[in-house]
Amino acid sequence: MYEFEMTRPTTIADAAKALGDEDAQALGGGQTLIPTLKQRLAMPSALVSLGAIPEMKGVCMSDAGEVCVGGATPHAVVAAEATAYPGLAGLAAHIGDPAVRNRGTVGGSLANNDPSACYPAAALASGATIVTNTREIAADDYFQGMFSTALEDGEIITEVRFPVPEVSHYEKFVQPASRFALVGVMVAKFADGVRVAVTGASEDGVYRWTEAEAALSASFSADALADLAVSGDGMISDLHGSGDYRAHLVKVMTGRAVAKAA
Amino acid sequence: MEKFGKSQSVKRVEDIRFLTGHGRYVDDIAPDGALRAYVLRSTIAHGVIEALDVADARAADGVHMVLTLGDLEAAGVGVALQATVVTNRDGTKGAEPERPLLARDRVRFVGEPVAFIVADTLAQARDAAEMIELEIADLEAHVVVEPGGEMLHAEAPDNLAFDFGLGDEDAVTAALDTAAHVIKVPVDDNRVIVNSMEPRGCYAEPEGADRLHVSVNGQGVWGTRDKVAAMLGLDKAQVRATNPDVGGGFGMKAMDYPETLLTAYAARALGRAVAWMSDRSEAMQSDNAGRDLNSVATLGFDADHRLVAYRVDTIANMGAYNSEYAQPIQTELFSKVLPGVYDLQAVYMRTRGVYTNTTQVDAYRGAGRPEAIFVLERAMDAAAREMGVDPFELRRINFIRPDQFPYTSATGQPYDVGDFDRVLTRVMAEAKVAGFEERRDEAAARGKLRGLGLCYYIESILGDPAETARVDFEEDGRVAIYVGTQSNGQGHETVFAQFLADHTGIPADRIRVVQGDSDLIAKGGGTGGSRSVTVQNTATLATVAAMVEGFTAFLADAEGVPASDVGFDDERFRIAGSNLTPTMLEVADMARAAGRDDLLSVSKRTKLDNRSFPNGAHVAEVEIDPETGVVTVERYTVIDDFGNLINPMLAEGQVHGGVVQGLGQALTERVVYDEDGQLLTASFMDYGMPRADDVPMMYFDTEATPSLYNPMGMKGCGEAGTVGALAAVTNAVQDAVWSRGIREVQMPFTPHRVWQMLRQAAA
Repeated sequence: MYEFEMTRPTTIADAAKALGDEDAQALGGGQTLIPTLKQRLAMPSALVSLGAIPEMKGVCMSDAGEVCVGGATPHAVVAAEATAYPGLAGLAAHIGDPAVRNRGTVGGSLANNDPSACYPAAALASGATIVTNTREIAADDYFQGMFSTALEDGEIITEVRFPVPEVSHYEKFVQPASRFALVGVMVAKFADGVRVAVTGASEDGVYRWTEAEAALSASFSADALADLAVSGDGMISDLHGSGDYRAHLVKVMTGRAVAKAA
Repeated sequence: MEKFGKSQSVKRVEDIRFLTGHGRYVDDIAPDGALRAYVLRSTIAHGVIEALDVADARAADGVHMVLTLGDLEAAGVGVALQATVVTNRDGTKGAEPERPLLARDRVRFVGEPVAFIVADTLAQARDAAEMIELEIADLEAHVVVEPGGEMLHAEAPDNLAFDFGLGDEDAVTAALDTAAHVIKVPVDDNRVIVNSMEPRGCYAEPEGADRLHVSVNGQGVWGTRDKVAAMLGLDKAQVRATNPDVGGGFGMKAMDYPETLLTAYAARALGRAVAWMSDRSEAMQSDNAGRDLNSVATLGFDADHRLVAYRVDTIANMGAYNSEYAQPIQTELFSKVLPGVYDLQAVYMRTRGVYTNTTQVDAYRGAGRPEAIFVLERAMDAAAREMGVDPFELRRINFIRPDQFPYTSATGQPYDVGDFDRVLTRVMAEAKVAGFEERRDEAAARGKLRGLGLCYYIESILGDPAETARVDFEEDGRVAIYVGTQSNGQGHETVFAQFLADHTGIPADRIRVVQGDSDLIAKGGGTGGSRSVTVQNTATLATVAAMVEGFTAFLADAEGVPASDVGFDDERFRIAGSNLTPTMLEVADMARAAGRDDLLSVSKRTKLDNRSFPNGAHVAEVEIDPETGVVTVERYTVIDDFGNLINPMLAEGQVHGGVVQGLGQALTERVVYDEDGQLLTASFMDYGMPRADDVPMMYFDTEATPSLYNPMGMKGCGEAGTVGALAAVTNAVQDAVWSRGIREVQMPFTPHRVWQMLRQAAA
């Protein structure tokens, strides 16, 4: 780790101001950034912790019936408190291990947009709204490829609003070593249709599997997927799984998610 | 229970210390103010060093020393680590290329130490390392475990380290030529990274006027002391080596490493304490790796399915250099159990060692014996399948029978006792083998493939057969026992204190176990080869006998009776015609009061003529999800013959740990080097250590035939679990996929690899 300055602002405004400095970096729960720093793979001059801002923490319901999660809310709190959205709470409950869940935050996960992270699948499958200190971004517009999002430099995710589906489930096939998602599929059935978001698999990061959405909107059962084929082209291929394997798992995990959706 | 084994499951006294953060690990006890060392390692697998300029690093803040190989040579110290070599089939010696402490002109693996930086803080040392100018011109990397490729060492044409043979090749060839059945089986034994919970570390500090103390988390202190003395040109008496609490060694920490010697040199040269601690990825790149060999087994059977011949041809990876004991492992140590538990005299093995641009390979829990048993038991399983014989029955009809003991194995091992049939019968009952088909059908109904696998293993205990025990009665009424073994976390303190307590009546909580200090203990064998409890307790028994003899004579003298009127019953001395029944501690006080200090420190050294041969049966039952390739171990049953048990709970714990290491290698642990020699699995993000939820509850029990070779009748148990697990799991996986037409399975069974195997079979 190289030396850096560290600030812990208590308001969003102060945090945004601190992030205006060149080479300043936002610090959420640090579950990606801290290991990166320890390996000397990043050299920010200043870290701006978002962990001391009360207005960015907690889970509540909006008037529109959305589950609203503060950007600095740790996974463990979502797992315990997002009871109105069991699919989301279940996803949060299985991220990493207890230490990760007590530190890592929804805002940090979505801002980093790791291609193997779980939350991007929840946000995309839910059609969530990413609220920042300057605007609101629809999930469909937010994810722009591996580690790439619509966020501007210094922009802070203050809240994520998740519409609550009728039924949903997140099915994760873990990479055996890291236990990140090798393939994770979130299926969410709304009154106006089914959304299916896939994480871990694609070289373009999280994406919606629109063929499955159409099939499941017509008939919400694993059998509805039988005739669909997933191509290995454009899928991540590494020592834990070829593109073909991931493509195969996308279909298997989607079927299992549908079967378990409640 | 037997006379010399009290067989009590006493709980581990040292765990209080370990579990409450009071362990004294090397990084906890480095002296205040110790300088911190950092190693600059090669990031290139194979290349020529064209530039190495450390001038800026030397001038950096807080830096006290930057070492390159040239600096060591200029200082006139020894720069090469020594290694044992084997004898080739043609009578010549295995290759002995230099293994320098720091790279000499060339780098040969990613992680090879190039420069050693010592600074006030670790951050300063790392900063300085980044200022070192290192230019390396790439050479082709040789990564596959085969001879040939870009040459690493001029001393080893074709990258061949050795070509070892053992057995009667002509007899085996003749027997195979006429055998009714010949089965040939390729068996890959994948490389593992050891990953002791505590990575390697050490510190060194000047002690007194002209001495050096080197503390390292090793498996014994005397080799370290000798190597440091030789390297620095000191007398052995000038070096004190210690091992504090050690968080796992598994053979990996039995060998000495460049960092320890460099730290010792730096402390001596600077006249200050210097400490070095490996981080995890550094450990994964630089710790001796394990296994990594590919074999082809050929078995010959007669028409009645009795073994007539066995041949194994192996290529074993040495990594880039000879590690200290690497050459003997897949050769001499492999041969110890080559024919396993079978009545078979025609055997031959050939092993070729090859150098590759990977981290050096050396001992890993079992060191050669798990590898040999894995090959044999895979081959036996394959033979049973091919010949249409039940795998359990094929073992049974080929076992050495109880009436054949003592039995000299085909590779000269003097098996003393064994009742393999009894163990097999018991394991079949406990594993509910009879109900397996029903469980398989039930799994099939759920879309799962279920398989059952057996391994019948035998172990040959290794390590130094001699050991010393010294017992001191201290003035505060406590007793110290000095041992030459070294706990790496196995529970030695509990076992050795309890054993002494059982045989002397001294309360265990009054006994402290002293280990790992070359100033306090002149000689010892450390931990390794499943030796510790057997050799140490044998020495303790001899010491206790000497204590009893000395105190008996003392009491007889004091009471004016013949020595034959004084007896000791493991609790108290009893004197004919006297009401005096002193305990050993009380006699020690009497002796001290009488000025008989010679009775208060007693030491004996014993040597076992023969080692023991633990054996047993492991049965694994796995289930495979064909949709994902995930393999889960559903049931795991172990029946071992460890002879008499000293502490059954700790023995079972050793089996649990060993089995989990075996399951890890079989299911999750996969080392991947790319074609350029980059280690792709250099962190736990990519290297899959087994976790608690990967492991089933295990059934464990024993069927004992006490060993005849030591007074306790015990057999070592430290490595056995690993020896049995590899083949049991692999055979179970083979069984599960047999119905899919798959006739060859190779570890590790990661989901992706299993899925690919199933898909290829379906195509």
